[in-house]
Amino acid sequence: MPPIPFAAGDRPPDRPPEPAVARLLRDLGPRLRAGGDPPEPRDCLPSGLPEIDRLLGGGFPRGRLCEIAGPPSAGRTSLALSLLARTTAAEEVCAVVDAADGFDPLSAAAAGVVLERVLWARPVPGPRLSEALRGAERLLEAQGFALVLLDPGGRERAVPRSAWARLARTAAASGSTLVVLSRERAAGPQAEVALELGALRAHFAGTPLLLEAIEIEVVLVRQRGARPERSALLRLGAA
Amino acid sequence: VRVACALAPDLPLAAVLRASPELAGLPLAVASAPGPRAEVVAASPEAVRRGVRPFASLAQARAACGSLCVRVASPALERAARDALLDAALGLSPRAIPAPPAAGIYAGEAAVYLDASGVGSLFRSEEGFATALGAAVQKVGLPAVASVAGSRGVAHLVARSIARLGPGAVRVLPPGGEAELLAPLAIDLLDPDDELAESLSRYGVRTLGELLALPRRALATRLGPAVLALAALARGEEVEAQIPVPARGLLVEAVDLDFAIDRLEPLVFVLRGLLSRLATRLDARALAAASLALHLDLEGGGRDERRVGLAAPTADPRTLLRLVHRALETRPPGAAVAGARVEAQGCALERDQLDLFRPAGPAPAALGRTLAELEALCGSQRVGSPALADDHRPGAFAMVGFDGLRSAAPRCAAASPPCTDGLRSAAPRCAAASPPCTDGLRSAASRCAAASPPCTDGLRSPWPSSTGAPARCAPPCAGGFRLAVRALRPAVRAQVTAGSGGPSFVRSAVANGRVLHAAGPWRTTGSWWFAEDRFAYDTFDVQTSDGTLARLRYDHRSGAWEIDAIYD
Repeated sequence: MPPIPFAAGDRPPDRPPEPAVARLLRDLGPRLRAGGDPPEPRDCLPSGLPEIDRLLGGGFPRGRLCEIAGPPSAGRTSLALSLLARTTAAEEVCAVVDAADGFDPLSAAAAGVVLERVLWARPVPGPRLSEALRGAERLLEAQGFALVLLDPGGRERAVPRSAWARLARTAAASGSTLVVLSRERAAGPQAEVALELGALRAHFAGTPLLLEAIEIEVVLVRQRGARPERSALLRLGAA
Repeated sequence: VRVACALAPDLPLAAVLRASPELAGLPLAVASAPGPRAEVVAASPEAVRRGVRPFASLAQARAACGSLCVRVASPALERAARDALLDAALGLSPRAIPAPPAAGIYAGEAAVYLDASGVGSLFRSEEGFATALGAAVQKVGLPAVASVAGSRGVAHLVARSIARLGPGAVRVLPPGGEAELLAPLAIDLLDPDDELAESLSRYGVRTLGELLALPRRALATRLGPAVLALAALARGEEVEAQIPVPARGLLVEAVDLDFAIDRLEPLVFVLRGLLSRLATRLDARALAAASLALHLDLEGGGRDERRVGLAAPTADPRTLLRLVHRALETRPPGAAVAGARVEAQGCALERDQLDLFRPAGPAPAALGRTLAELEALCGSQRVGSPALADDHRPGAFAMVGFDGLRSAAPRCAAASPPCTDGLRSAAPRCAAASPPCTDGLRSAASRCAAASPPCTDGLRSPWPSSTGAPARCAPPCAGGFRLAVRALRPAVRAQVTAGSGGPSFVRSAVANGRVLHAAGPWRTTGSWWFAEDRFAYDTFDVQTSDGTLARLRYDHRSGAWEIDAIYD
């Protein structure tokens, strides 16, 4: 006897009903991940500072916008130069868009930065940041700079949100890491990682008196896909 | 010898459509001049179908087709189109030369001859070469046909004969059988003058075969020596000189505007088309623009000529447009623009060999574009690679050209030797007062030394020097993280209350408050042999009550306090 055909929409009685979760996974594809799966390992740029790398889970993620915020003397520049030194030592090419005109080659060389591998763009200081933002975007579009450091010179609040979104998109498309040095967090949700730095104390010692080191606290205030609000203590200067 | 010919049959129309591709498919007429009495020089097939005829007056053409689009013939556009045809040919063969201008009914055509000897091995066959030639010409915006034959004249005749087939048609005359294949072609393809054409018509000679069948001496006797030249051309008997390699000259694109433009945005829109066509021609010849010049014809007879700085050769139309836009924004033209011309000096594209063991940096072409745009944004002196200057002046640095992956041998910071001299490292201020360090580490020896010698330069300090105390250097460094400085350019003036122990209160734009700690002073002097350049500073590291760690210095020349860096 031939099998009785099923009506449209019926399922064969010999197949078990499809679980709702499996159906969702099939329909939504790679956008859904079953709970409990470990996150995929990210490609990162190590900062060269073990405490920071532990805090970030390996370093600053490639192809993402990251933000380092803090007041003057909180260690932003030291952290940025350490990242730059570690990246150029790995024979990567980096760029610095320096709207503050505050990059100090002597200090960078002392931190171990391979200066030949750094492209330094110094927009003419002024109230507008458009040159610096355009410059950073062009550098990201060039595809090949592992790290682009953008120092808005304390004027990051003047940057519209759309500009941050655009920079984040360009960084994602290029695979370059864009690190913004700001006094206050400005990139908001466009930042994949945001660190807030604060100075704890400065050590002066010796005769004659010498500046020995500063101690800072680094707080991970934002990290997409991970639990933020973790911190680390750092000592910058001679050990 | 094998010669190819690429022929654009209706150049005035093709040049207009190349500049305004949005007019394709519309009834379009190219007029010799503005005004209703002007003559129609060329008409698109759509216009011809609606009754527009070449050589008619514009008023008659408009009467025949009410929706007729009219453009005035532009010599600048036609010159650029002829050059583009040659560029397309040079993309396929190193030897190419434009055909001499034709007259009569073929005055509106443009042709180029290429050396096609041996191309069969590259393109599988001469038909393949001719097809590639037609495609290359179409890529630069010109409809063209292509042919291959044993001489320039025959190739030209064949190209004319297939022009009616439309763009992309190709024909190859194999060696040896040319006379037989040319025989059925119309005698008009030789473009005889009116008197000779009438005589040939009266004799009943309508094809090349009929002409070649007549005895040569009788032809010369009855029709004059001019017909012999035509017969030789039809036989392919002309002496074929080698086609030369052209000089790599300027690539020029120009446009004459119907109406003067007095605003920047419409002008940039026009220049976008010019630069796009220029980039297509550069691409066809695998060249990049090493330099770019912009010439603007201004209303009233003035001219605006400027060079657009290119940090590196580029053929990217977006980059070229951004640079031109930037140049016009910086210095707008003095009057409305009635015509524009861009000139690019072509150079070979830079190739790069990737390294198996190094990360891939930016591609040379992309890096060149980026450097050019950064220089347009920041200025040519403000983009480059930082370098240490051979100068003791505080804050001295140098900038050198950035060459990405082709930089000097890489240095590994991790491979730097450990500090074993018992001196503290990472004192940036030492760098200013010491020769550039070569190992990435900076010793505090100079700072210690600077603190110790007595003041011998005749400068008087308002505070007791710390030179009396023995210089104590820091314990051996153990791999701590270096404290860096953020430079302030120019240095920020400060109001300082100084006591016998040094500064006690600071007021400035970057650091304010009571001085909690002050280390120093360290004296830095130099260039005392130049009255203008000499410098003398006493520098302190201070921590103010607002939490700022600043590098504060007293300038002995000006007698002022200033902050030249922040420890950050």
